[in-house]
Amino acid sequence: LCRGGLAERLCRLQNRERSAISFWRHQCISDDKIPSDKSGVLIVKILEIFEECTIQVAICQQLEQSPATLSPEDAVINAEEPILKVLFTRETAAHLKSRPQDVIHIYPPWQKLLLQNADVPVIMNTYFSQKVLLSEHSEARERTYGLTKMLIRKNIISLAQTFRLDDLDDKLHQESSDNQVPHALQTPNKGDSKHHASALSAVNDSLLEMVERQGAVGWREVQVRVVIQRVYCLPAREGYRSHTQGNKPLCATPVANSDPPNVRLCLLVQDAYGMFSEVQLQSLSSTDDIEQYCRRWEGKSCCLAGMKILQRTTRGRSLGLFSLIDSLWPPVVPVKVPGQSQDSEMMTTNLPPPSFCYILTVQSGEIHVEVDEEEQISNLYQPPAVHDLKEILRIDGCNKRCSFWAQVLYRRLQSKQGVPVDQREMLLFVTDSTLQNAVHGIPKVVAVSVTASCVLSVEIIEALSAGSRLVFFKDALWGNGRIICVERTVLLLQKPLLCSAAGADLSELTGPVRLDELDSTTQASSVCALRGTVVGVNESTAFSWPTCNRCGNGKLELCPQDRELLYCIQCSEVVTTPVLKMQLEVFLRCPSRAQSTVKVKVWHEISVALFVLLTVLLFLQTYEVQSVLGKEVGLLNCYVHSVTSHPNCVALEEIVLL
Amino acid sequence: STLPAVAEELLREIKKAFQETSQVPDDLLLGLKFIFGPSAVPALDLVDQRSVTRVRAPSGRILYQVLGSSGKLYTCYSSCHFCTCPAFGFSVLQKSESLLCKHILAVYLSQAMGACQELAVSEEQLTNILLAEEEEEG
Repeated sequence: LCRGGLAERLCRLQNRERSAISFWRHQCISDDKIPSDKSGVLIVKILEIFEECTIQVAICQQLEQSPATLSPEDAVINAEEPILKVLFTRETAAHLKSRPQDVIHIYPPWQKLLLQNADVPVIMNTYFSQKVLLSEHSEARERTYGLTKMLIRKNIISLAQTFRLDDLDDKLHQESSDNQVPHALQTPNKGDSKHHASALSAVNDSLLEMVERQGAVGWREVQVRVVIQRVYCLPAREGYRSHTQGNKPLCATPVANSDPPNVRLCLLVQDAYGMFSEVQLQSLSSTDDIEQYCRRWEGKSCCLAGMKILQRTTRGRSLGLFSLIDSLWPPVVPVKVPGQSQDSEMMTTNLPPPSFCYILTVQSGEIHVEVDEEEQISNLYQPPAVHDLKEILRIDGCNKRCSFWAQVLYRRLQSKQGVPVDQREMLLFVTDSTLQNAVHGIPKVVAVSVTASCVLSVEIIEALSAGSRLVFFKDALWGNGRIICVERTVLLLQKPLLCSAAGADLSELTGPVRLDELDSTTQASSVCALRGTVVGVNESTAFSWPTCNRCGNGKLELCPQDRELLYCIQCSEVVTTPVLKMQLEVFLRCPSRAQSTVKVKVWHEISVALFVLLTVLLFLQTYEVQSVLGKEVGLLNCYVHSVTSHPNCVALEEIVLL
Repeated sequence: STLPAVAEELLREIKKAFQETSQVPDDLLLGLKFIFGPSAVPALDLVDQRSVTRVRAPSGRILYQVLGSSGKLYTCYSSCHFCTCPAFGFSVLQKSESLLCKHILAVYLSQAMGACQELAVSEEQLTNILLAEEEEEG
């Protein structure tokens, strides 16, 4: 320690104090009575105790005289008596073992400190303190107390609360953000004033730079020039999240509410360095516009400004997004390499595929996306590579994006209670000329699963329920032998403007559509054609019911006004000409799958061939099973419900193709 | 909480007394001992040895560097109570046993008594000081 310094002085003072304390304590014990010298003694009654760091803080009431002279009735808390905050060191507190209601005598030298802006004075240097026991009763109580430990609340002190030693700041120091060290890069908040195009800084060509400048001065004015590779809609509820399970194809959970679907228009953009970003724009009210946006915007350049980072996602967390990015990799033209001066030989296409991607969104209010629609398509744009279905079935690998034209033959909705039609998952059975004309070994029809996360426009939904249509599937996902439409897949009716058709045969189908015949390889959830002989009839399954001729609703009710008429709730109208539907399960023996029991649910409306006879018979309820047996049934188109091996049975349902 | 207000008032009194008399009276020193316990004497020693430097960058950003007894340089922040010394991590952060470590107390005392050394550095140098701490710990 420095000679003559403050530390040396305190050391000396401290030593003196310590000996005084131990001397005083010794004296108290040996005398065994309250020292008579009353001057300067502070008499307090403890009301509340808590701890801060190692200091014990006792909220006390100062008593005028020793309570030993008061009768118990007088020893009631008098609101007039002043309140003090008495501090004790850990060692003193351990010695005293005080509890609320205890009376403590504090002998000098103690110190009183008056705080600014606080009414309660603080008493420090309370080493010479002694607890006063009021009666023998309390002595006994004291002994028991000594055995039990009292729990004392401990206040944790915030580190943000610093000490201001200047007199100029009269106010008590404030916690947290006000005390922050001014950030060198921040400018005083000018408020969120609308900034005009003229205030925008020069256009940048790096997304990464824009992202890194977020929060710094002028970041709102940074503009980045990018190419729009894809335009699609995402369901707003899930946005960028995707449920991924390893390498299995994605299947997001459907949004199960009856509100109109909330979809956001999104762009997948790429900058001059080859970096991708997904930009989420405004919500679309009607999903009709998606085809327009695709046609007008894909392939064009645009300027982004004032974007907000929603998320930085990685390959592992967004398999769907990255499968789309992979389909656009490597870039078709050389891209810039960050950090190098941009000589032409420095640009490259030989880069590893991206492992991360920023998801951006617009700041509330203005949309800063200026698409140059008049301009030419950018060189960097990679239109979807169109293949025919035969080629797609041969693709190796998983989670690959593919685009194709196909004729939709049959649509099957996966029924889920309470989910509106346009949000339900569905199975589309499609084909094209390459499959129809294919040789043995290649299926004639392929099932395409459409999950609820794939946003379908109203136009598409109507087209799918109406008639057989040629639909363009853009960026569907292929994996595990299945084609599925997930988020970022777009179904279009019109041919996209620019398409690299790698030898795809887009011609219409010639001749009637043929399905694969039922055989030993037929699986559930597929479609097939069959022929066979009726070997049995499941009479218990025969029934008929009226359906609404407008919407096909099978659950008609009796009209409340006139109980002779039928009423359709879905149409909210009386049904004057109901369509009678009848169904029956027949057992067939099919030579193509001779060992299985083939059970087919046949419908009245459709299967005129077989059913004409049965209809009449059932209606009259005079039929005999015998007359039906042995009848030949030829080429029914069916949907396979299930295929079981024990018992060896195939359950099908007759369908009509679109 | 009570203790910070008490500590602050005590330091203000020390500053006022020092400004008026160029001296710190005994009772205030003992008050330091009472409140800050074992940190008090070492902190005063650091002040005696003029171990505290206030480092200032052109932007106005400040930090403090304290030369410890072992010869090691510790960094204390000005905007909150933080010090890079192990005692801070243990007594203050982990155990909540002390308000400050001896280095932060030395900073306050040096401020109160005008005993800080002054050092002006560039923005980059200040950043490097902060980053150097990170690398050492990591």
